[in-house]
Amino acid sequence: MEEYNSGDEVVFNADEASVLVKECIEGVIGGTDYNQSKVNQWTASVVEHSLAHLVKQGRPLKYIVNCTIMQKSGAGLHTANSCYWDTATDGSCTVRWENRTMYCVVSVFAVAL
Amino acid sequence: MDDYQTEEEESAFVVEESVEATIGRNTYQHNRVNQWSTSVVEQCLGQLGKLGKPFKYIVNCIIMQKNGAGLQTASACFWDNSTDGSCAVRWENKSMYCIVNVFGLAI
Repeated sequence: MEEYNSGDEVVFNADEASVLVKECIEGVIGGTDYNQSKVNQWTASVVEHSLAHLVKQGRPLKYIVNCTIMQKSGAGLHTANSCYWDTATDGSCTVRWENRTMYCVVSVFAVAL
Repeated sequence: MDDYQTEEEESAFVVEESVEATIGRNTYQHNRVNQWSTSVVEQCLGQLGKLGKPFKYIVNCIIMQKNGAGLQTASACFWDNSTDGSCAVRWENKSMYCIVNVFGLAI
């Protein structure tokens, strides 16, 4: 059977995921300004790298990683999440990041197998 | 029998109805958008739960004012391709965009 870490590591660790995601965001768009032609590949990179790092932790969880990048231009943006799951084993975390020209919001959802 | 070809189609229909019902006639208002996005996700989740399917659901809603800014959103999922799925619904009116993502994971 698959080898997973056992015992108390089955529960999603939101703080750890937060740190991991922040690093991924920094790595992809850390020093850049909003660029319409590149934002497509940026969002794809952020979700792929975040997902890969989360999966490497080897926990028996399914993951959904969602990334939104918005140009700073004075527009209002609001996001909300609602989940129908088992609150004892499943969890989520949201990371908000910004620089001079854009906002980036990444949400991670982890659902137990 | 199923009215829709796939679960995704059925979910998309449920979401479109929920969004129309919640913010269909409104103009973007900064002090109300908080309760709108909450209402949209709760309404969607409620209607999806009523379908009685053996799924866990995650509903994500983004509401953005129309003023020329660029917005890009992407999702990646690590799950069982044969049983789990998602759908994205894009809705707009004269003053705002609303994007709703629904992820369904089989129990």
